Amino acid sequence: MADHNKKKTESDHPVSRLVGLLAQFDDPDSLIHAGTHAREAGYKKMDAFTPFPLHGIDEAIGIRRTWLPFFVLAIGLSACAFGLFLQYYSNAGDWSPIFPGYAFMISGKPLFSLPANIPVAFEITVLSSAFAAFFGMWALNRLPRLANPLHRISRFRRATNDRFFLLLEAGDEKYDSSRSRQQLEEWGATAIEECNEDLTDREFPKVLKMAGLILVFLLMIPPVLIFRASGGTSRAPRLHFMPDMDWQDKYKSQVLAPDFDDSVKHTGLFADGRAMRVPLPGTIALGKLENDTEYHRGFLPPQSSYTGELPVLGEKLAGQFNLQDEKPEGTAEGAAAVQEGAAAPQDPNAPPEPNWVTEFPANVPVSRELVERGRQRFEIYCSACHGYNGNGGGLINQHAMALAVNGQAAWTAAKSLHDPTITVQPVGRIFDTMTNGRNTMGPYKSQIPIADRWAIVLYVKALQETGITPAVIAPVEGAPETTPATKPAE
Amino acid sequence: MHKQRPAIITSPIISLNKAYVRMIPLGLIIGAAGIGASFLFSAGDFSRFSFSWLTSFCALLSMSLGCLFFVIIQHLTRAGWSATVRRIAEIFAMCTLPMFVLFLPILLPVLMGKGWVYEWNVPGWSGEAASPMEKLKEYYLVDWFFAIRIVAVFAIWGAMAWFFLGNSLKQDRTGDPQISKTMQKHSTWIMIVFAATLVFSSFDLEMSLAPLWFSTMFPVYFFAGSFLSGMAVLILASLLLQRSGRITDEITIDNYHDMAKLAFSFVFFWGYIAFSQFMLIWYANLPEETFWYGYRINMDPETGSRGWQMMSLALLFGHLLIPFLGIMARTVRRNKTYLFFASIWLLFFHWIDHLWIIMPESTPEHTFNFSLLIDIPMAIGMIGIYMALFALIAGDRPLIAKCDPRLGEALNLKNH
Amino acid sequence: MSIVINPETDNTFEDPGKRAPLVLGGLDYGGVTENVASLWEATRPPRAWYITLGISMSFMAILGACILHLFMKGTGIWGNNNPVYWGFPIVNFVFWVGIGHAGTLISAILFLFRQNWRTSINRAAEAMTIFAVICAGTFPGIHIGRVWAFYWLFPVPTEHLAMWPNFRSPLLWDVFAVGTYATVSVLFWYMGMVPDIATFRDRCRTKIGKLVYGILSLGWTGSSRGWHRYEAAYVILAALATPLVLSVHTIVSFDFAVSQVPGWHTTIFPPYFVAGAIFSGFAMVVTLLVPCRQLFGLKNLITIRHLENMNKIIMATGLMVGTAYGIEFFIAWYSGVQTETFAFYNRAFGNFWWAYWIMVSCNVFIPQVFWFKWARTTPWFMVIICIFVNIGMWFERFVICITSLCRDYLPSSWAYFYPTEFDILMLLGSFGLFFTLFTLFCRYLPVIAMAEVKNIIPRGGHGDDHDHHETHGSPAVAGE
Repeated sequence: MADHNKKKTESDHPVSRLVGLLAQFDDPDSLIHAGTHAREAGYKKMDAFTPFPLHGIDEAIGIRRTWLPFFVLAIGLSACAFGLFLQYYSNAGDWSPIFPGYAFMISGKPLFSLPANIPVAFEITVLSSAFAAFFGMWALNRLPRLANPLHRISRFRRATNDRFFLLLEAGDEKYDSSRSRQQLEEWGATAIEECNEDLTDREFPKVLKMAGLILVFLLMIPPVLIFRASGGTSRAPRLHFMPDMDWQDKYKSQVLAPDFDDSVKHTGLFADGRAMRVPLPGTIALGKLENDTEYHRGFLPPQSSYTGELPVLGEKLAGQFNLQDEKPEGTAEGAAAVQEGAAAPQDPNAPPEPNWVTEFPANVPVSRELVERGRQRFEIYCSACHGYNGNGGGLINQHAMALAVNGQAAWTAAKSLHDPTITVQPVGRIFDTMTNGRNTMGPYKSQIPIADRWAIVLYVKALQETGITPAVIAPVEGAPETTPATKPAE
Repeated sequence: MHKQRPAIITSPIISLNKAYVRMIPLGLIIGAAGIGASFLFSAGDFSRFSFSWLTSFCALLSMSLGCLFFVIIQHLTRAGWSATVRRIAEIFAMCTLPMFVLFLPILLPVLMGKGWVYEWNVPGWSGEAASPMEKLKEYYLVDWFFAIRIVAVFAIWGAMAWFFLGNSLKQDRTGDPQISKTMQKHSTWIMIVFAATLVFSSFDLEMSLAPLWFSTMFPVYFFAGSFLSGMAVLILASLLLQRSGRITDEITIDNYHDMAKLAFSFVFFWGYIAFSQFMLIWYANLPEETFWYGYRINMDPETGSRGWQMMSLALLFGHLLIPFLGIMARTVRRNKTYLFFASIWLLFFHWIDHLWIIMPESTPEHTFNFSLLIDIPMAIGMIGIYMALFALIAGDRPLIAKCDPRLGEALNLKNH
Repeated sequence: MSIVINPETDNTFEDPGKRAPLVLGGLDYGGVTENVASLWEATRPPRAWYITLGISMSFMAILGACILHLFMKGTGIWGNNNPVYWGFPIVNFVFWVGIGHAGTLISAILFLFRQNWRTSINRAAEAMTIFAVICAGTFPGIHIGRVWAFYWLFPVPTEHLAMWPNFRSPLLWDVFAVGTYATVSVLFWYMGMVPDIATFRDRCRTKIGKLVYGILSLGWTGSSRGWHRYEAAYVILAALATPLVLSVHTIVSFDFAVSQVPGWHTTIFPPYFVAGAIFSGFAMVVTLLVPCRQLFGLKNLITIRHLENMNKIIMATGLMVGTAYGIEFFIAWYSGVQTETFAFYNRAFGNFWWAYWIMVSCNVFIPQVFWFKWARTTPWFMVIICIFVNIGMWFERFVICITSLCRDYLPSSWAYFYPTEFDILMLLGSFGLFFTLFTLFCRYLPVIAMAEVKNIIPRGGHGDDHDHHETHGSPAVAGE
């Protein structure tokens, strides 16, 4: 604002400023004529005020086209790209390191289903463009502007009703208070008034400042409280706003029943506090009868009362083959047990040996395919200890024996499957070893289905037919040989 | 305050005058040359030739129907801005009647049961129909009923177009404003009948090429392209006639602005309808509907050809995205050179649209079947014949409705 | 029926050379302001206003109580069940969203077509749109079951959730579409109101009024530079609102059309739903404006011609809906798909035949009376017809949604649908919400867009001056 327009008061602080001359016209056409004249007279800083958009006024007073449409277009296009990207990001993959998307596979549609993503992208475009137009327009118009000096002129109230105004701004070069007034009268103004701005209007009202400060202060309270609470601990239970279905009034298995009645603890449904009953003794699940003892247990029926507890047969057999001289020192307790077993005579109280089947049961289809299957299964389950050729070279066996040397583990070395004590075993016996385990070999009953166990037995037999020399287990550093058998191959 | 322009025509010559005498044989020669070349290059494959014929025919017919719709709607809504261009639209609309003659090379072989174009023209096309209801379709898609429907729609279109053109010409002579009132009154039920004819003719002409396929949106899709091309040709014809000096400044830049606005909105409308039809069929994934789109947007599994796929993309960009962004700006809509190229672009892609609808049905394997040697000369030939029809109907009649009571509005239109 | 047309009060004459005056009673600019603002400044609104407010508030209270009951008990209180999983809530939603479309059409589309008669009705129509969208949005908002998990609908990245909305679902497209529509409508409506609120501000005598209207009007002065940008934004918003209004009801129709249910999956749904929406919306506008103009003395601004034009649009869109019915019927047979054919047969003759015939008679047959000029120009009669139209359109959504579900592919799953009392009470309650909001709007906000009406008054300054500057069309017979 040009300095010479400021009116100085006694205290030398300007409190009002001349804005310009406001002329009133009674009909739109005279306003347009006046505006045209003004523009032709060289006035540039001026504005017209009408109750409705007056067509023709733009050319009359020289209003240039606004660039708002380009702004809206730019925002709209970016929003479209954003909308497509949002859907790609969130529905088509989880590549992002933070807040990754989640790849929905729904009815076989492609992960990035462009046809299905168009509606949302379109809506986002329209919404953003509308915001751009709306807020852009108000921003360009510099609104809201609640303290406009024109509102102080009572005549101006009719600008939104039925009168038309022209303002020649004092800042314009051609402005001159008396000459401009004269021109306006010539151009048909019905009333002319000076418009002054009270500069104190520009100040933010004190009331609002106070209210704003108080509001800011109040708004600070929740974050402060949260900050205080975030580092601390509390014994009070968490605030659980949305119960969802977190506490359900129902019984769940394997869990103590909820306390419905505070007076009685863990009532459950039954006296023992459970909501379920255990099966009666002797209950057998469907399909688990397993009454074909040959097939399911590997021995002939007369031993049906056999429950699977076996003496350490290996030690007994070892006795038959004079293996007791060998001292498998690699194993601590195992060595002792072997020694005991080898030294002790047959314990008469031990349960009798079951009558192992020596032929494969009828429903085991002995064939090349079964050998292959057995090989595959052997390599999965057995080779870890017994090694690929059955000679005990499996890594677990090696590592366990190394640990046992240092006294860090109890381990009975996995026998070579070519060992004579093993090769004489009937198929049923081998089956039983696999099913129920032996020494540190655990039972594989729950891991290997019956058919596969017989396949592995077949494969073991096939391996034994190959006549591989029973292994000399490689000595670990500092440890003596631990091979239980050193008989050369036949 | 704008000075009011008086509602009179100031151009000295407002009709084709003597030029139409030259235009008719010129058009026919171009037609013969183009169609003849196409016939030669199709090398005796009548089916292929007929398909090419049908494509260009449908493109031009839908364009004329778009102009007819324009005329009806302008009367129905008592529009004033279009008074200066409506006569041109009326002439284009009237071209629908003689186009029946152009349809005979398709219709007669159908009646003779040649099966060159429509699959249902061959007996036994539907296989074993399951129910009596489905058997009725064989009575619907049959040569004689088809012919009756076609003859009926063309007769109706001709009658409608003549109602408006004839009355408008009468108004030229008598200057009676009540004629406008009559046309407005009758345009109501005429619009309803027009809608019905559009629905059934689109089913017959294009949808029945794939007789097992169906889409309730198809008539709307046809209509959208039809009105868009109608506006494009109206802009183009107005520009050409003005350039030739027949019409000087009666068609103002604001009239072009309005026509461009309508063309723009129908670019969007076409896109909306095309997308809706596609998306709904894609989404539900019902095989009885998706196969039609499958031929057009998937790679051909047998040959590995992406021909139709590329054409679908061309249609997406050329018929929707590029014109949408291109005709958006105000300055563009008020620039005659730009509008000239834009209208030609739109008309070209309108033809591509019909090619995309029709041609995939031209071989049993739905292979890519676009031939520069057959289809382009055919299109040029058809345009030539159409030009001749236009000249025939326009004759030496005024190209602007001289005594339209709303002429003043059109001349004084100001688009702010 | 022939009526003597008095051009002073009845501007429905048809004279091709002239444009009928749109503002009657010789009103000039000041007169328009007085006519509209006076009803706001009156010390007491007419008694009918209080009665309307009372009745609608009680219905709104019913809605509130039902919603509370719903939150406590869950969605089982509704009739939705196997196989009709979508019942009254979605029917009501589509109904209300459809009604909203008329306002945007009047504001945006008629603006782009330069139909000046829209200026008297667009403010009320836009308000109606917003209130209708509020009613519409209520139903999806409350039906999700676990209402506190509503934020899952929005793409808000959360650590614990690790999931995003399914952007391929039309139900989610609805969230964006209706949300965008509500927002853009509010923006458009508010922007349009700012100059009129400025008028109120300048006339207001109460301090509270001056403060509120002063803030709401943002300090608007009517500056021409301001008007220039304002008009640019108005055109842009109108141009945006046009495809938006098409897209919103299109997306709503996608809820049904993307499925594989016979009777739902048909490609014409988008434009058919939009036409139906405009149909029902205009009927609601007429139903609202006829009493308004009568009670608030707005007959010179909302003239018979305005009403007649609206009735013509109702006719046109009604015929579009009827055409769509016809196309659907034809294709249902033509397609040869047995389930599709059955679906349409079932609509007319199945267990919900009564709903179907209500729909057809209200949508197709009854509006045909508008062929007659008397019907188009008699206010009380058109209100009756428009109420029937709205009933018909509600039943259309009912028929589409429920008959297709109650008998789809597997006959063993077929069942009848029984709405519960809460379904019906919520529907009635939503009308209460709608009318409450509209009644309040009439009292406190400018009912007519004064600035826009003044813009269409001929420059002479008087309403029914026949020399409107755009109709200078004396038929001149030039020589040729």
